[in-house]
Amino acid sequence: MYRFIYILLILAIIVQADENDDKYVLGEGYKLGSLPMYIGGYLSTDYQHNTDTKEDVFRVNDIAFLSYGSHSNFSYMAEIEFKELYVKAWGDHSKEELNSRLYIERFYVDYTLDEEYIFRLGKYNSPVGYWNLTPINVLRETTSSPSTNYIIYPKYTSGLDLMYSYYNGYELNVDLLLQNNEDLDAAYNNFITDKHFGFGIEFTDNDFSLKLNGGDFHLKEKILEYEDVYYALLSFKYDTERFKIMGELGTQFCETKSTVPYSGYLQGVYRITEKHLPVIRFESHNSDITNKLSPNIEKDDVLIMGYTYRPMYPVALKAEYQVHSVRRENKAVFSFSVLF
Amino acid sequence: MMKIFLFFILAVALNAVEYAVIANKKLDNYSFSKAKIKMIFLKKHKILNGTELVPINLESANSIRNSFESNVLNMSKNRIKSFWTKEHYLGHRPPLSVKSSKSVLSFVRKIDGAIGYVLLSDADESVNVIYKWSE
Repeated sequence: MYRFIYILLILAIIVQADENDDKYVLGEGYKLGSLPMYIGGYLSTDYQHNTDTKEDVFRVNDIAFLSYGSHSNFSYMAEIEFKELYVKAWGDHSKEELNSRLYIERFYVDYTLDEEYIFRLGKYNSPVGYWNLTPINVLRETTSSPSTNYIIYPKYTSGLDLMYSYYNGYELNVDLLLQNNEDLDAAYNNFITDKHFGFGIEFTDNDFSLKLNGGDFHLKEKILEYEDVYYALLSFKYDTERFKIMGELGTQFCETKSTVPYSGYLQGVYRITEKHLPVIRFESHNSDITNKLSPNIEKDDVLIMGYTYRPMYPVALKAEYQVHSVRRENKAVFSFSVLF
Repeated sequence: MMKIFLFFILAVALNAVEYAVIANKKLDNYSFSKAKIKMIFLKKHKILNGTELVPINLESANSIRNSFESNVLNMSKNRIKSFWTKEHYLGHRPPLSVKSSKSVLSFVRKIDGAIGYVLLSDADESVNVIYKWSE
């Protein structure tokens, strides 16, 4: 019941916000009256056809609401989400599901100490690599995400993030992640953790960025023979007006063995125009782990060819075809997503 | 032939429009490179020695803004749009926009830490010119 009250409240706020003088721009959210607060959200729906198994899946994957704002040196971000709200599958694993639980995706407060230091407390996207910074469908180049994004490190951290930034023609950003408690809402984290300590160092010069991350986390649900897991990830991106190339290469290990000897990808996007973007990605991984986002994943090479049409930037219609070297997962994927 | 070419270059130079990035007088003691101004307008650099920096834009279709975006930010309209759409997901807002150069001047005069851009000929002594470009 509380979910519907919440949705009614959101709609009431939107109606009230619509009456403001500020013109609404799709993809930039609504301003709440004269308050320094904004609301928005996103929607993602996709359809997959596995050409090996002839199975089909349709999902209303994400419906999320965002709220954020700032006052003085403080700012906040809240995101709640229906995950896989509706799923219908045809074939050997046919099913139909309606999942109406709301999850806390992000919830944090930032305190800007000065021009160099920001403290963040709460649940946030782990600032590891580049893919995980804006991981929602509408903001990424393909409907699917590379395995590097979910088998190396926890996608979410619930704790403290100490951020240091230095600008002098180039940018230097440093993150220190500290979690020593349970996840604020672990249901959709790829690893269920109660500890996560990590660091990130990023250097940016004009269009080129390079980043190194490392850390360790403690598994609350034992999926490996050891509970303490270590990881490292090196990532880069080169983003110009005409094209964007990005790549990440990571590894993960515990005390006795390398649990993910390697996982990486290289992706290129060419902007024919701002509306038409062909993309190609090559992924490769060798993994000894399974988690709920990567069941039975071991060793595979994947080639993904895709095309994104953006009638305007916050709206994306995507198509991609995946060719797998090992798994019987060759498939076509189509999606529609929008940020509002 | 060379004289005609030089004359052409001179004519173009004489017709060049000059622009200025202006700041509140309280930011007198600081130097601002083009890269730093870009960081301020992308809101990556928000505070300077305890003063909150407040970038102010002209409206999207304004020709001065177009020149600022292509010559100082070195970004196309589309790239700026995609940048602020991603920032919306991260909880950050684009700079405020006002309708006229007169409003920019008034805002920069009154607000500590304010930074805007106008035609160089419109910048008077009540503001601090921190960067100039021409087109």
